[in-house]
Amino acid sequence: MSEAHEILEVSDLSVDYVLPQHDVRAVDDVSFTVDRGEFLGIVGESGCGKSTLLFAVAQLLAPPAVVAAGGIKFKGTNLVGLTDKQMSAIRWRDMSVVMQSAMNALNPVKSIGAQFKDALQAHGKPSKREIATRSAEVLRMVGIDPVHLKSYPHQLSGGMRQRSMIAMAMLFTPDLIIMDEPTSALDVVAQRSLMTQIKELQRAFGFAVIFVTHDMSLISHFSDRLMVMYAGQIDELGDTRAIFDRPLHPYTQGLLEAFPSIRGPRVPLKGIPGNPPDLAAIPTGCRFHPRCPHAVERCAVTAPDLYPLDGDLVRCLRRQDGTLPKADQQGSLSR
Amino acid sequence: MSELLKTEHLTRHFKIGGALSRRTLHAVDDVSFSIGEREIVALAGESGSGKSTIARVLARIYQPTSGQVYFDGTPLSAIRSRRDGLRYAGLVPMVFQDPFASINPVFRVQHGVLRILKLHRPELSARQRLDEAERVFGVVGLGADMLQRFPYELSGGQRQRVGFAQALAMRPKLIVADEPVSMLDVSIRIGLLNLMAKLRDEEGVSILYITHDIASARYVADRLIVMYAGQLAESGPIEDVLTDPKHPYTQLLLSAVPDPMAPLAQVNDRGEPPKVVDPAPGCRFRWRCPLAIDTCSAVTPALTELEPGHEVACHVAQTGAEVRAFAS
Amino acid sequence: MAMPVSGVPTETPRSPAAQVPAGHALARIGRAIRSNHKATTGTVLLVIFILIALFPGVIAHASPTQDAYAPRLGPSSAHLLGTNAYGQDLFAQVIWGTRNVLIIAFVVGLAATGLAVLIGVAAAYLGGGWDGTLSVLTDVLLVIPLFPLLIIIAAYAHGEGTLVLITAITLTSWSYTARQLRSQALTLRNREFLEAARVRGERKLYVIVMEVIPTMTSLIVASFLTNALYAVLLSSSLQFIGLGDPNTVSWGTTLYWAQNNAALQTGEPLWAIVPGFCIALLGAAFALLNYAFDEIGNPALRPVRRSKRVRGT
Repeated sequence: MSEAHEILEVSDLSVDYVLPQHDVRAVDDVSFTVDRGEFLGIVGESGCGKSTLLFAVAQLLAPPAVVAAGGIKFKGTNLVGLTDKQMSAIRWRDMSVVMQSAMNALNPVKSIGAQFKDALQAHGKPSKREIATRSAEVLRMVGIDPVHLKSYPHQLSGGMRQRSMIAMAMLFTPDLIIMDEPTSALDVVAQRSLMTQIKELQRAFGFAVIFVTHDMSLISHFSDRLMVMYAGQIDELGDTRAIFDRPLHPYTQGLLEAFPSIRGPRVPLKGIPGNPPDLAAIPTGCRFHPRCPHAVERCAVTAPDLYPLDGDLVRCLRRQDGTLPKADQQGSLSR
Repeated sequence: MSELLKTEHLTRHFKIGGALSRRTLHAVDDVSFSIGEREIVALAGESGSGKSTIARVLARIYQPTSGQVYFDGTPLSAIRSRRDGLRYAGLVPMVFQDPFASINPVFRVQHGVLRILKLHRPELSARQRLDEAERVFGVVGLGADMLQRFPYELSGGQRQRVGFAQALAMRPKLIVADEPVSMLDVSIRIGLLNLMAKLRDEEGVSILYITHDIASARYVADRLIVMYAGQLAESGPIEDVLTDPKHPYTQLLLSAVPDPMAPLAQVNDRGEPPKVVDPAPGCRFRWRCPLAIDTCSAVTPALTELEPGHEVACHVAQTGAEVRAFAS
Repeated sequence: MAMPVSGVPTETPRSPAAQVPAGHALARIGRAIRSNHKATTGTVLLVIFILIALFPGVIAHASPTQDAYAPRLGPSSAHLLGTNAYGQDLFAQVIWGTRNVLIIAFVVGLAATGLAVLIGVAAAYLGGGWDGTLSVLTDVLLVIPLFPLLIIIAAYAHGEGTLVLITAITLTSWSYTARQLRSQALTLRNREFLEAARVRGERKLYVIVMEVIPTMTSLIVASFLTNALYAVLLSSSLQFIGLGDPNTVSWGTTLYWAQNNAALQTGEPLWAIVPGFCIALLGAAFALLNYAFDEIGNPALRPVRRSKRVRGT
């Protein structure tokens, strides 16, 4: 990928929570890039650092979270260390954010139209007519009748609220939209239709998307590349279809196996035993080794680095030296 | 199989609007189903379908507007004394959806179980209560050392197990589980679902598993009931309903379930379930249904058995025609 | 960090909880006090005052009431703060006066908070007609100007001293914190763990006392500190204008006598300044503790200390 295609470059990023007892590292040395128009999915269990990473990229970290190391280059500019004024020029024009729950992000006492107006006026001096036109335009883009500009958030259904969040993020047709589990609170039909909508908009307007979720099966049909996070680190990163067809990291395999399927035979599933580690007490060596069905002695001693393999990046000692046989989705490695 | 729980034409309405308003929200309308011993029945539907209201009627938080609920043959309306109410609460406990809000954060996690034992099994001594707390924690897969912990030290999955332990401590016959895994990570859900199956198989407990996730319903449940806008759409043995869904809504739900191994099904529906306020008669799904005919607007379809154990409330399906509303 | 919202899976990190669970409370309070400067200062001040109130005779050897000494003496080794116009040792007066002030502060603090909790939480949890009645009662007392009301009550019961002061202040000042407690109880009312308690068979009274109130401890402690602070200020003010029993030894009454004798103008400034300074100091102690509790309970309010790690590129 040439430099011109890259819109976001995160290098060696670490984010700490500065707590009275000790600092907790929620994101550890994460590096990845996002190209123009690319859909990157970030998956992981709760507590893996994906939301913190997202907030860091969007420059929305609040104390006690701070960027401890690394850089975030957006269209060539390093975001870490920008002043609020410099950041607000970029915010919403070039990069916007869609939150987990619209009810948390939308002002409950203002109509949708008023909130769009606020956003438009925060980044320019549009005329009344320009505001009206653009607001109606973005609502139509997400399939909502512009009459709802007058509605308050509580008058809209869950799906419509999430769509208006996306419409708001599209006001300036940014180059990158960051989404933090925007479908989690929705039912399965609304979820499907929202994802399809996002994909359509992406094809029409060419913006890049970083989509954080814990639901791998949801993201499987929509993301170009997939990043699997565990305990603050990247464990696997690569082409989505490739990862689903032959997951390399035991954690990714475990995640894929934890999904009961609608079709196919009814088989008992195991899931991944245990719990994600307490970030204040990280296991030695590979962070996943206490829960890994393929862990050997050296896994508890040596912390693996990200290793390129088959076009993917994977963080696993046994994968690195080839002592783990290849797996495919159907017959995954059984104990 | 003896019927443990039976609802007959269960209806629950809520008055909405101000003091002078006469509008009613029809949360649950004419719902009849039964649950037998040692079975897991999944009650599936989107939000607003009425499934949580049914859970709360079964937990006696709400009284039915009309209709009856029978437990072990006795109607719920016959429960008057505190003692009867306590007895019922012990036989039909509830597990809640939100692991972070359903446990009191200032007490150790054993608090709930110990209180339950004190209320429902007063014959136990203090020592016996502690032993029993340890036992039920063990059944749900939590170590005895967990008893002394505080909720904030436990993960979401562990807290839900505490919820099940509390239910078990009452020696229940039927657990009403209101979306017990919806707020957990997908990879953690399997553990809880396996626990539910274990409770059915080893402890002989029936479970009413309320959910909006059909895939998890398929994993644990023996029978499936699909609800839409307060009414029953379809019900039957789970494999039958999923391999041969007869109601268009069931088909829509199935087609929308994400499955990484199957190609993406085209789902053009983007509607959402209606809030049912003072409805006119007729099928409530008709606005989203590609197969709707005239009868659908005039007459509310009744639940009819089309195959053994497999009931559907749909005019088109009841004519015997093939129902292929949504590809899956 | 993502906020827990209904229907959305999140995990809280294993960081110190916002709620202070019973049992862990003492250890965590100890740690919190040591690490937070406001808390340390406030606690130290308060402890000093408590010790003074408990053992006044150890600190001040002279009698506070006997006018046995030469009047209008300046500070000396015999009389640390000098004597007043009546020949009483000022230092002894201030030291012995601490007892009266602290008693008022703590008794009013506890009684007013107790009333506020009872009424505020009951109103919120019982709802309906109960809430209506109790809220009207609370609001009426809130609206009536506090200090004039106190003056009227105290003037009416003039001369009967500290007990009257305590009662009057308690009965008029509980309403402010009752409002706050009611608001918080309202937000808690629909929490699932309360519903779960009812579903498992608990009685309503049990739920209010054993499930709701324990989750409100930080606000209840804050209410106590607020009420204690106001008790100090209000009682001293009432005593200053002569509505307490002028023969009790207290900072307010000392101020009263100082004012009566135009202390500032007649060259006995310490008589007026020192009691006032003590009132301010005790008030500051309560206020600092109040801020500190807010910060301990809500990590978002804490000042961010610089991370000790080296920053990368």
